[in-house]
Amino acid sequence: MRRLASLVRVGLKANFGLAILHYRIFKEKKDRWLIPLVVLAAVGLGPTFYYLLRLLKDLYGILLPLGQQQAILTFGILGGQILVLLFGLYYVISAFYFSRDLELLIPLPLKPFEVMTSKFAVILVNEYLTIAPIVLPVVISFGVMSKAGLPYWINSLLVYLWLPVIPLSIISLLVIGLMRVVTLSRKKDALIIAGSLLLIAAGVGLQYTFVRSAGSPMDAQPMIRFFSSPDSLLGRIGAGFPPSVWATKALAGGFTSAGLTHLFLFIGVSLALFAGILVIAEKLFYRGLIGIGEISGRKKAFSKEALSRRISSGRRPVRAIFAREWRIMNRTPIFLLNGVLTVILLPILFLIMARADTGGSDSTMILKALTSAKPFLATLAAACFMAVTGTLNGTASSTFSREGSQFWMSKVIPISPREQVAAKFLHSYLIALLGIGASTIVLAGMLRLGAGALLPAVGLALAAAITLTAVGMIIDLLRPLLDWTNPQKAIKQNLNVLFAFLADIGILVLLGFLAAFLGKIGLSGNIKLIVLFAVLLVLAVVSAKILVKLADRRYREIEV
Amino acid sequence: MIELRSVSKSYNKGKVKAVDDLSLVVKPGEIFGFLGPNGAGKTTTLKMIVGLLKPDAGSIAINGLDTQTDALACKAMTTYVPDYPAIYERLTGLEYLNFIGDVYGVPKADRLERIEKWLEIFELTKAVGSPIQSFSHGMKQKIVLTAALLPAPRVMVLDEPMVGLDPRSAHQLKELMREHCDQGKTLFFSTHIMEVAEKLCDRIAIIAKGRLIACGTMDELKKLAAEPGQSLENIFLELTET
Repeated sequence: MRRLASLVRVGLKANFGLAILHYRIFKEKKDRWLIPLVVLAAVGLGPTFYYLLRLLKDLYGILLPLGQQQAILTFGILGGQILVLLFGLYYVISAFYFSRDLELLIPLPLKPFEVMTSKFAVILVNEYLTIAPIVLPVVISFGVMSKAGLPYWINSLLVYLWLPVIPLSIISLLVIGLMRVVTLSRKKDALIIAGSLLLIAAGVGLQYTFVRSAGSPMDAQPMIRFFSSPDSLLGRIGAGFPPSVWATKALAGGFTSAGLTHLFLFIGVSLALFAGILVIAEKLFYRGLIGIGEISGRKKAFSKEALSRRISSGRRPVRAIFAREWRIMNRTPIFLLNGVLTVILLPILFLIMARADTGGSDSTMILKALTSAKPFLATLAAACFMAVTGTLNGTASSTFSREGSQFWMSKVIPISPREQVAAKFLHSYLIALLGIGASTIVLAGMLRLGAGALLPAVGLALAAAITLTAVGMIIDLLRPLLDWTNPQKAIKQNLNVLFAFLADIGILVLLGFLAAFLGKIGLSGNIKLIVLFAVLLVLAVVSAKILVKLADRRYREIEV
Repeated sequence: MIELRSVSKSYNKGKVKAVDDLSLVVKPGEIFGFLGPNGAGKTTTLKMIVGLLKPDAGSIAINGLDTQTDALACKAMTTYVPDYPAIYERLTGLEYLNFIGDVYGVPKADRLERIEKWLEIFELTKAVGSPIQSFSHGMKQKIVLTAALLPAPRVMVLDEPMVGLDPRSAHQLKELMREHCDQGKTLFFSTHIMEVAEKLCDRIAIIAKGRLIACGTMDELKKLAAEPGQSLENIFLELTET
């Protein structure tokens, strides 16, 4: 047990790097600028939380007279668990199978379940941070509004600590099974990607079922029965995933017998599932892990002619660097899942969720009505959806970080930083284009928007994507994360991706204010679009110039 | 030719002095060996020459061009092999070599001839179509060496290039180092293998705690020894004793 505790402690220290951060901020005084930036980000997020809390208060006010207020808790808890399911997949695959410290851990006299537990602990802490913005506001505001006593707060803490365990255990089970199959195959990367897509598809299918079961229409009699029972709404929301109902009842019930029964049920099932995972891990974890790094290569030598065909006759450097970026991104499963696949999957997910809502009629009807009533607003919303789909995937904001320890090559090759950055920009922009294309198809199909409405939206999105891509690259160039040992860290756990996300949202909100201002001064729809497009072009030129200038300086300064 | 003039580099805001007022000249046509205990400043010096690190003071010139003001021109005539072959593992060996050929602007005919030659010498012909990820440490080291030779650079900087190589490949490497310098080109390399340095190098520099403590031909270094006829290993131990 002491060995396991020590392993978990080392794992947490190595992954959350508090000692390194403390050293860099207070000893080396290198990352001091992080402190005001974190404060700024917190201040920036302030209004969002303010509105979330106001929304929760209003919702509580509406649901209280109906006796359905506990449904708010189920919303928050279920939301947190869905988030665990979504992020958990990336975390589990990379932590269980692709962290480089595994090479050090396997030869040590440790049992497979001990190694897996230490990795599980790291993912658990990650998940606590991931679900905090969703679950904490709900649980805290509900406690305050219902004037809950101490038992509520104690149960809240216990439920929060156990909240990610059930979804994480389910994912771990699926991933361990998947990897056992993957190691048997020669095409490991392809299988990992296919398996991940299958798991995502299963997740989407599950959510589709949740939304449909919560939103299917009702007749009058069941409706009356529905509102006469205090648990009906939470039961309906949590129908697809009962643990969220148990957790709600554990919180709302406090130390009553119902509260404690549900608390024990929730923790008991979590424990049982986790124990089950440990038993399976003991048998299968190392079988899937050992051999995952074995990549079988070509056995045959190229003939002189074949070699001559494959030797390039000389690409221009920008093309060569673009090809390098494209290949490395698409051949690293974690990068591929975050880049190309995300920009294509996101609009499809949007489409599925919209169709799932009451059979696909209501939300689509509302959107169509909105589109015809407010065409300018619809164009802006469509442009925003396209730009967000294309750029908020971390490709640009991890473009330097993804090079990691290989960045030395970018420093020694005789290619100017401007050309290198141009190639990287083209790569990130191409992925943005894929996203814009996919979302255009989805919007055209779903809302039947004509070319008159779609073309201006595409134009705005293309111009906005230049700035958003350049801003992401600037942020990553300012503090590239090059010392990672697990590719997950370069993209999913890279703070630059979060900072770029906040900056991008800020830019889009400012553009929204500008559009509102243009409307207030009485400009017509087309003139407003032209002004916005011109502003976006100016922003694109300015951000591209800043990027190029910064590249000249930072390529000299970054030491590897 | 490589010229270092009063080069200094420190880490941790000046608290750790890695290289201290180092001056030396590596002439064209000579194999120059760089020796020193662990942490003496060898890798830091090599990294400053190829532009991976920026000197705090002093200047470095390659064939008369300053590495800070004429960085791209210096890089175009220099190739570097690091102590650990951290290269693009997701590319195949051939894709990596093509990338290097593209960025150094090597014409197709030269590219084909040199790649064929070095792949055969390093016995990589069968492996070159596979992802670098599937290579052993020694194979990765050999593909990095092939890439460094591909542009036929005027200056080569190698950081402990023998590590991980089998005896046959190490022998081939020594031959090619000699061949490179016989063409009037420059080669600067660090090593811990005294025997290699003694037999291969035209001149040797010994560095300790960031400072140059000896520099010269083998005969000149022997004169620094307390007793005559000592091996380079004994001279090294004597000079770097703390």
